[in-house]
Order: sequence, then C-alpha cells, then structure tokens
Amino acid sequence: MNVEISDVTRRFGRTQAVAGVSLETGPGVFGLLGPNGAGKTTLLRMMATVIPPSSGRVRLLGRDPGEYGPRREIRRRLGYLPQSLGYYPGFTVAEFVEYFALLKEMPPAQVPQAVAAAIERVDLGGRARAKLRTLSGGMLRRVGIAQAIVNEPDLLLLDEPTSGLDPEQRVAFRALLRDLGERATVIVSTHLVEDVGAACSDVALMEAGKIVFHGTPDELIAHGEGTGAAGDAPLERGYSAVLAAARSARAAA
Amino acid sequence: MMAAVTSAPARLRTPRAVRAVPLSAARLLRLELRRSVMPWILPLIAALFWFDSYRPSTGTAALYGLRTFWNMGQGHTIIDFGPFVAGAAAWMGSRDGRRDMADLVTATAWPRWTVQLATWAATAVWAVAAYLVFVAVMFAVYARQGVAGTPPWWWVAAGAAAVAAFSAAGFAVGAYWPSRFAAPVAAFGGFLAMALSSRTGFSHTTGWAQILPTNSNGNFDGSAQANAGIFYPWTPDLPVARIMFLAGIAVAALGLTGLPARSGGRRLRCAAAVVALAGVASAWTAVDLASTARLTTHGMVIPALHDAANDVPIRYTPACGRAGTVPVCVNPAYRSWLPDLTAALAPMLAETAGLPGAPARAAQFAAPYPSNNGALGEPVTLGGQPLVLRLSLGLLNMPGSCRLCVGPAVQKGFAGQIKLLFAHAFVDAGARPGSPAQQAVQAALEDTAGVPFADQTMLLTMTGTPWWGQPALLALTNGSESGNGPGPLAGPVYAAARRFAALTPAARHAWLSAHLAALRAGQLTLKELP
Amino acid sequence: MTTAGLNRAVAESTPPPAAAAWRHRLAAGCQLARLYLVSRRVPTALALLAGLGSLLWAALHWHWTIVGGAAVRQFIPLTIETGAAAVIAVTTYGPFGEPERAAGRWLPWLRLSAAVALIAIAFGALAAGATPGGLPGGTLALLRNLGGMAGIGLLAAAALGGAFAWTGPMAFLLITEGALAHRATTPWVWPTRLPSDRGGAICACLVIAAGLLLTTVRGPRESGRESGPAS
Repeated sequence: MNVEISDVTRRFGRTQAVAGVSLETGPGVFGLLGPNGAGKTTLLRMMATVIPPSSGRVRLLGRDPGEYGPRREIRRRLGYLPQSLGYYPGFTVAEFVEYFALLKEMPPAQVPQAVAAAIERVDLGGRARAKLRTLSGGMLRRVGIAQAIVNEPDLLLLDEPTSGLDPEQRVAFRALLRDLGERATVIVSTHLVEDVGAACSDVALMEAGKIVFHGTPDELIAHGEGTGAAGDAPLERGYSAVLAAARSARAAA
Repeated sequence: MMAAVTSAPARLRTPRAVRAVPLSAARLLRLELRRSVMPWILPLIAALFWFDSYRPSTGTAALYGLRTFWNMGQGHTIIDFGPFVAGAAAWMGSRDGRRDMADLVTATAWPRWTVQLATWAATAVWAVAAYLVFVAVMFAVYARQGVAGTPPWWWVAAGAAAVAAFSAAGFAVGAYWPSRFAAPVAAFGGFLAMALSSRTGFSHTTGWAQILPTNSNGNFDGSAQANAGIFYPWTPDLPVARIMFLAGIAVAALGLTGLPARSGGRRLRCAAAVVALAGVASAWTAVDLASTARLTTHGMVIPALHDAANDVPIRYTPACGRAGTVPVCVNPAYRSWLPDLTAALAPMLAETAGLPGAPARAAQFAAPYPSNNGALGEPVTLGGQPLVLRLSLGLLNMPGSCRLCVGPAVQKGFAGQIKLLFAHAFVDAGARPGSPAQQAVQAALEDTAGVPFADQTMLLTMTGTPWWGQPALLALTNGSESGNGPGPLAGPVYAAARRFAALTPAARHAWLSAHLAALRAGQLTLKELP
Repeated sequence: MTTAGLNRAVAESTPPPAAAAWRHRLAAGCQLARLYLVSRRVPTALALLAGLGSLLWAALHWHWTIVGGAAVRQFIPLTIETGAAAVIAVTTYGPFGEPERAAGRWLPWLRLSAAVALIAIAFGALAAGATPGGLPGGTLALLRNLGGMAGIGLLAAAALGGAFAWTGPMAFLLITEGALAHRATTPWVWPTRLPSDRGGAICACLVIAAGLLLTTVRGPRESGRESGPAS
C-alpha cells in the first residue's frame, strides 16, 4: 500500500476540516470527490506532508512522514499539484519545471531530459521557453501538472487538476492519469464527477470532513439508481444520493 | 492535445548512493541568479553611485586617502547600495509568500530554509558582485587619472560585507513579512541605519562607535588620510572588525529565516538557531574589539587583531628635484607636485643658504600621528645631521582641486604656505607662534621670498597651518608674549619685519649669521633687530 | 440553484423614493471606497504612517541629529519623510489587473482620492510627530518635502509599477543628501531650499501634480502581464 491513513483528523482552530478519515490505497487512480469545504484539500495537504495531522496515523510509501528522514524520502518520490498554483511569473516553463525537479533531488544529470519529457507529456513542448506570465490559465495548469510528474513520482496528488483545461485536454489528461496509475498511486481530488468516472478505479466521497463513500465508480452509480437524486448523469445521481444520505444522517444525529 | 501515453519515457531512477547535491545546488543557484530581481535595480544604483560616490571624489587631490574619504571613509558606497539591496532582497524573501508557493516548495525534498538560502545567495551574489565591479571601475578611472598611493582594499572588503549584510537583513524582513510593504520598510530601515550611523560616528570618535560603517574617525582623516597607502599600509584592524560585525549581522539574519516551523525539521531549525546565535556572537565580539581600538603612530589599531607586519613602512624610490642647489625628494605619490614644491622652496633656500640653520636637503616624511584630537602636527620641521628640511605634505592642501576646502588650493597659496612654514621652522619657533622677534624675522623672510606682508595673514589661517597660525586659538592664549600672534600690519612686529626686509641680502645674511642662535633661543627682542 | 423566483423578484421591484436612493448610493460609494482601500492595504499603510510619526517624534525629542551644519541636520527627518512617501507610493499597487481597469468609471477617482487622502494623513501623522519642535524648516518644509516626494513615488509607480515605486523617493533622498553635503541649491531638489522659497515650492508642486495626474489617468504600471522588475 502506498497510502495508509488511519483515523486522521485535522483542526484549524475550532474548525475540524478532517474528522476521522481512514484510507488505504495502492497503485492506481483514486478519486476524491466532495462538495466545496468537505476537507478534500486538507486531506491532500496532509498526504503531501505540507501539514501534519492533528491526530491519527499516516504512512506514505511505507514510511512515517512525521520523521525527518522518511519525510524527505517521501518527498523525493512525491508529486503534488495544489488547487491554487502559485508561480514565479518571470520563470519560463522549462525553468519552473526544472526548479522543482532540482528541489525533489532528482539526479542532476537526468534533470534536463526529465524536464523535457514532462513538458512534452503535457503538450507544452513548443512553449518551453515561454515566460509563465504569458501563458493562459489552462496552460499554467498544465505546467503545474508537469512539475508534479517530472520526477516520475510513486505518489501523485492532484487537486482540481483539470480546472481551466478544455474538453480535448481533459480527455488527454485522463489518459495520462491512467498511464501514471499503472505504476504509481494517483489521487485526484475534484468536484467534476466525469473526471472520476473516466479515469479512476476507486472513489471516495467526502462530506464534512468524513468519508461517506468508498468504492468503485459503478458502486457509486448504483447508490443513485432509483432514488430520484439530482444529476444529469448516473455518477452525478450517485454522488447526490450519497451526499443527501450523509447529510440526513448527520442532521438526525 | 497531450502527447500519446505510449510514448512516455522509461522511468528514470539512479542509486541514491550517487549524490549530486553540489551540482543540484549549483543549478538551483543558476536558476535563481537568472531570475533574480536584483539586476533590475542595478542601473538605478549605478546612477546613484556615480552621483554620490564617484562625482564628489573627483574634486579632491589625486591621492587615494583623499579620493576615498567620502566614498569609503564615510561609507557612501555603502549608502548607495545598502538600502536598495535591502529592499530588493526583501522582495525576493517575500516571494514565496506573495506567490502562494509556500506549500508547493514545502512539499519538496529540500528543506524550505535551504531553498530560501539559495534565493538569498543569488540576491547577494548579484549585489556584492555589482558593488565590487562598480568600485573596481571607479578605481580604474582613478588609476587613469593618476591617483597615487595604494587603494584601500580592506575598506572595499568591508563595503562588500556591508552589502551582504543589508541583503541578508532585507531578505529576513521579506521572509517574515510577505507583504508589499516589506521592500520599502527594509529600504527605509537601511537608510535610517546609515543616518544613525553617521550621527553616532560624527559625535563619537572612540570606543564601540568605531564599528559603524560611516565612522571615518582616525582612519580617513588627518594624518591617516595622508599616510595610509603611501607611507604605511592601510591598517586592516578596524576593517577586519567591521567585516566581523557585518558578517555577524548577515549570519544572524539568515539564521532567523530558518526558525519558523515550515522551514524544515526540528534539527534543521535548531541548527538555524545556533547559526543565528553565532552571528550575534560574532557581531558582539567585533563591537568589543572595536571598543579597544586606539589611534597610534600607525593608524587605528586593535591590539587583539594587530599584526606588526602592517607597521612596516612601504618601501619606495623617492621622486627628486632641486630647489636651487638643494635636493628635494618626495614620495612618488606626490611626484606631480614636485615642481610646485621646488619653486616654492627655491627663494627661501637661496635666502638662507650658507647660514648655520640652512638645510642640506629637503625630504618628505610621513605626517605625525595622532591627528584627530584637533592638534595638527608641524608640517615643516628642521632636524638631523646634516640638517634636513622635513616636509609632511600630507597635512597640507596640495595645489589643485580640493573638495573639502572653500575653494581650490591655488599654486600661489600653496607656495606662500610652504614659505611661511619654512620660515617658521627656520626661526625655530616650534609649536608656538614664536617671540615677536622670531615673528618679525619670519615675516621678513616671507616678504623677501615673494609673499607680501598684506598676504601673510591669510596664510596663517590656511588648512594645514598649525594652531599657532589660528587667530581664534591665538585669542585664547593667556597673555604671555610668545602666545600672541604677529598682530596687525601696522603694529610693531610688522614694522620690525619691514625694516629687516629692507636690508640688503648681504646685510640680512650677515646679521642672521651672527644672531641666528640667539634668535632661535628666543633671546632677542624687537629692538635688537636691525 | 434555479431561476424559479427570479422573474417574480424583478417584476415586483419598484423605484425607491429619492432620499432612499441617495442613501443607497452613498452607502454603495462608501463600500466601494472601503473595498478599494482594503485591496490596496491602506490599513497597513496607515499603521506604518503612524509608526513613522512616532519615529519622528522620537528623533526630535531625543535630538537624533547629525552634526555638521543646518543642512546635514535635516537628513534624519528627511529619511522619515521619505519613508512615508514610499509607503504611499506602494499603496498604488492593485492586485486585480485588467478586470478592475475595465470595470467602469470610478477607478480614476478612487486612485486620486486615495493618493490625496494618504498624503494628507501622512502629513498629519508627521506633523503630530513634529510637536517636540526642532523640525528643520518646520511644517511648511514638511508639507513641501513630503508632497514632492510622494509625487516622485507616484511617478515611479507609473513607470515601474506600484510594487517598486518605493525606489523613486529613496533615490531622491540620496540625491538630496548629496546636494545638502555639497551645498547645491537647485529648486528641483527642494529640501535644499528654504521653506519659504518659491522655486522649491513650485517644483515640488509640479512634481506632485504630475504624479497625481498620471496615477489618476493611467494608474500604476501593471506588472502581471508586462515585462518589468516585478517577480
């Protein structure tokens, strides 16, 4: 298992963003669905070792990120694309990806080739020397994906990766995810259910800091059948049905 | 459209045993150097450097001690760089915070503090390199202009350390406060620090205040200015202490950036704390050392740092000419003024030739230390066997531009001053105005050498003339006859001087032959003059 | 989210009475001004200006002066005035870019009002800080120096962008220091002139007028999509 999370919570002051989440996943593409404020980004940040959990146990790639040495090893093998991607406008595309390749302690001799490959994989090969400030929002997102995959990570965390991408690019991106998922654990946090349905073999649905569903996309679809839940597609109906049930249970409690 | 997934390259992985940290660090530094904001601010600094550090220096005599008084001694090269470097460094330090990059950088293998240090290093490299280049260009221009002496390299190093310290302090401000106001606040702090340094330096000539970068006391004024790099090496004690102080500030500031929780693991943050404390200790030690600095015959000395090898005079081959039959030799740094000097001395030497007190030769010597207590040494003295006319030209304004004077030192004024000082030494008045008889003979000798009586009062107040020529100081003396000046032109001293000057040269010569010893001993009165 | 109630809501709205409409406009105007000032970090700027006023008070109370004549004694108060001008200059930086510029007609008035108000507040803060007495040139010189330097800051914002506008007043401070030390008296370096000097006042007024005009009409240079020093 590349990701082993056991009863993890995270508080920010009085707000409990993640309230007792347990999760295990190995290689493959894992979707993390949920409405805004459900705790997806916080969970992803904990898996990215950016913030520690308030309680519970996290093991990533067989290591405990609470220790310095193991955390450093995890980060060498980690790729992370946050929801809000900051960037240095003066950097070129290649420089930005190279910057993160170096920070991830990739062998320097292999950095140029890895950078070129990552940029090609996101179809920005022709814009490698363009300054970031000249790129559109979708292109910037693809640059973010490139820096996340440059080190061929064993654990890839993507938060809203397709925002700003056009439909054609989204299709290609899903194919990329499936390819990456053959070797690595890819966790995609999104509120676009069609992305999850197309690329993910496993799905979790979060609501109010908890996981309220964990299964395959087909199982999620099954939850929505015959319930009259809102949604234009089977996955959307399954999503709405699970959420509605979770909220009712919470209100009753 | 993203590339077909089947064309993805094979996994790239090498054994961890092959670590290439230095190479990665070098590449990271190269990236940061290329994308640093510092180069954008250098044109502005260059313009200010030309205006504030170079241009004012061109109005001084062509000696390094004088040329660098304003820009090195009073720290104007640092003022031109420091605040702007601090502001730009604060901008770079706040970059991660302003660009929402903190999470992304934290999630990489390199500790955040290390990444920040790389960003700072690039900023500092640009700033320090620019400083060194600008100073090198300025010194190259000086060399073309024939500025003589040795450049104050230790002070250049102290300036470079100051630039690095400003960059580190500014970077720390930005790292802690990723706001748009971090840069102007850091720049303002830099200016305020330099202003307070000037304030303290001008009013504290000793003690810990010597550590301040704009304090020129004892290092660039008076005799130090005249001798350093010409007769003696620039004493490195105080610049070494300043480098320690400034390096300590830089190290402490960089250590502070490693303290926040996100900077790295606990051990790394402990190391950062140790680094910060080490910086503080270094700065503190430097202040303690500066407190022990004292002005000696070789400049500002800190006993704990002093190397006696720096007291060895600089060997040189003098530049020589002749004033009549008397050889006149000066340090090669003063070669360009040799004609003015020999022209000034020639009539005085001709007038006194053959007399018991006439010098066999004239030679330049180092100006006497200490000199910043308000009492200047005697620029011209007679001594040795055979008699040598000893000239400490460093205490005088040489002919030509003179930024610190009211107007440029003109040749006529310089010639008159040399004649006055020679005459004063010849009558052996020493460090006093002399007896009225000595003053009268002194005035007469000047007159016969081409300085009319009416012009002589002005010479008494020229820069370099010791206290006995200063009317204000004369007014403070208490009544003894030898404490008074020559008095008004219509007074008895000048009346006696006119009578003596009116004698034929042969008569004057004969009288001086017979009475010089008594005159020098102060035993003669005005009535005994012919 | 649906459109079910929208048409009914529109159909039911009626024009409010004139007084109420005026109150609504006033409230909206105040809210717009407040949001504009917050987006420019003016509250932080006000705190910094208050801090500079306190610093000036301390400098005058404890006689932080550089010995060496009347000209050099100005340097520390001038540095504090420059700090205030730099803070004002940096508040011109706007984070929104093109959407804000394309949004309507109020932006120039907001820029102008904010700049004028900040200069006035800075003057007030520094004048309050000058109460111990001994400020070289008095409040008249303070007004001239601060206004002129703020004008330089606004011009720098138009040329370099709001984030780097602080370099303008700082560079002017260095030029002034050199002019004071070498006894230069050009009116374009107005701190070297007497407070009552007309030439210096005219030059300072011209600079601040130019700065306000450029800031109002063009605003600060945008760093997001143009090449420039901003990183």
